[in-house]
Amino acid sequence: MVRGFRSFHPIILLLYYILAIAGLMLYQQPLFLTGGFLAILLANLILDGGKELRKWRFMIMIMGVLTMILTPIFNHKGNHILFYLFENPVMHEAIWQGLIISLTLVSILCLFISFNIVITPDKFIFLFSKFFPQWALLIMLTMRFVPLLRKRLNEISDVQCVKGLSVKSGSIKSRAKNGMFLLQILLTWSLEESIQTADSMTARGYGLGNRSKYQPFYMKRKDWITLVFLLMSGSLVLLGWWLGDGVMALLPILEPFWLYGREWFYLFVFILLIGLPIWLEGKELIKWKYYRHNK
Amino acid sequence: MARSKPILIVVAFLISVILVGFPLFNTEHFMVLSLLIMVASFLPFMIHYSKKKVRSRELVVVAILAAIAAVSRVPFASIPSVQPTTFVIIMAAIVLGPQSGFVVGTLAAIVSNLFLGHGPWTPWQMYAWGMIGLTAGLLGNTRMMHSKFGRCVYGFLVGIAFGWIMNLWFVFGVIEEFNWTEVILYYSSSLYFDLTHAICNVLFLWVFSNSWIRIIERFKVKYGLFET
Repeated sequence: MVRGFRSFHPIILLLYYILAIAGLMLYQQPLFLTGGFLAILLANLILDGGKELRKWRFMIMIMGVLTMILTPIFNHKGNHILFYLFENPVMHEAIWQGLIISLTLVSILCLFISFNIVITPDKFIFLFSKFFPQWALLIMLTMRFVPLLRKRLNEISDVQCVKGLSVKSGSIKSRAKNGMFLLQILLTWSLEESIQTADSMTARGYGLGNRSKYQPFYMKRKDWITLVFLLMSGSLVLLGWWLGDGVMALLPILEPFWLYGREWFYLFVFILLIGLPIWLEGKELIKWKYYRHNK
Repeated sequence: MARSKPILIVVAFLISVILVGFPLFNTEHFMVLSLLIMVASFLPFMIHYSKKKVRSRELVVVAILAAIAAVSRVPFASIPSVQPTTFVIIMAAIVLGPQSGFVVGTLAAIVSNLFLGHGPWTPWQMYAWGMIGLTAGLLGNTRMMHSKFGRCVYGFLVGIAFGWIMNLWFVFGVIEEFNWTEVILYYSSSLYFDLTHAICNVLFLWVFSNSWIRIIERFKVKYGLFET
């Protein structure tokens, strides 16, 4: 049973991810981005206990740290010189810039991890079939072929192994050559087989009339409510960006880091939007706890 | 296809010139505008193919080739940063023509990301491999692609260009103001991988392109596919 954030209509989910990425790219203020980043991390933890996140954490951490360090070294725009590194000035503004860039990068990468958890291949193909039906069919065919070809590749390499062709030992050159040879056998085999698949498609009436499709997703009441929420908070986020509230001006004058007045409101809206999975999943968690207490 | 070919070549060339040259003219809004140019150059092909009536045999052959391109990493798993995906796409495109080449490239990118996980790089990968397929198909009947040496030159250039396009997601997404030193720094840090990719393309094309082209060509003639 799919529940929580994952049970929403794919188009709503896609809209959430588009708005969240746009928000992260538009709002260039450390406090906003930190808030967004923490919300995304928490959402990841709730969605799958951080399993996927753990796989990627080193790559993400390295990229984040590298951009944070390298930006101030190579960006010399600013008015306040902090110190000199190899006779190059390191600017106060550039350090903020580096922090902002690396927070944006890390947040977007983490957001994509939750995207991969939430938008499963079936939803992905559904989204494609909305806009490009033929492509959806092609993706489906190709996805089905991938495990099949892997199996065939194993068979081929077992047979060739007996003949002494190996991709696991030997010099790199011979391994590469042998690997390519296996692929060539796979090509000949699979092309011939594909004709049979195609003919059986024709025999079952492919190309006669319009393609019918199975519709596994319907817009429910909660989807419409979420859509309204997304549109409202999305346009507020856009308004906040347009007013300049979520952007930390670095030049000509460095804006103070801390927020004031109206900006707090936009921070609230921003977190509300980015943290949508938390509210939706959290609601269910609370319900679960509450019902259990009552019994 | 034959008549529209020169037009396609000119359009593809113009788009790449605009895409590369744009930051030189306008550094303020270059990100948004180049993204728009990219989408505008990419979507028409996708929509066009979506509208086209394709025979089932051609559809399945394209899917199989894309699947081969996607799984072609498997036998090379033990050799770091060697993957013949680009090679497979080029081979399919040379024989089957620009449109099928484009579809094979784009599809390979989508499907391998469905298995390995999407990221901000997915659209760029679709674009890069799709365009490699398209250009290889456009050049398919020229003297350059008929000679092994020409194919190797193409494979080298494309290997480097692929890396450069893939770097763009970082440049566009993350680097706020266009700043040549930052961009060059970032590009030079990826040069090792780009070069490996390019050199692998050359080696694969040098050793295997003749036999692969013969296999796909024979198959195409045998079943009378992709004749238009």
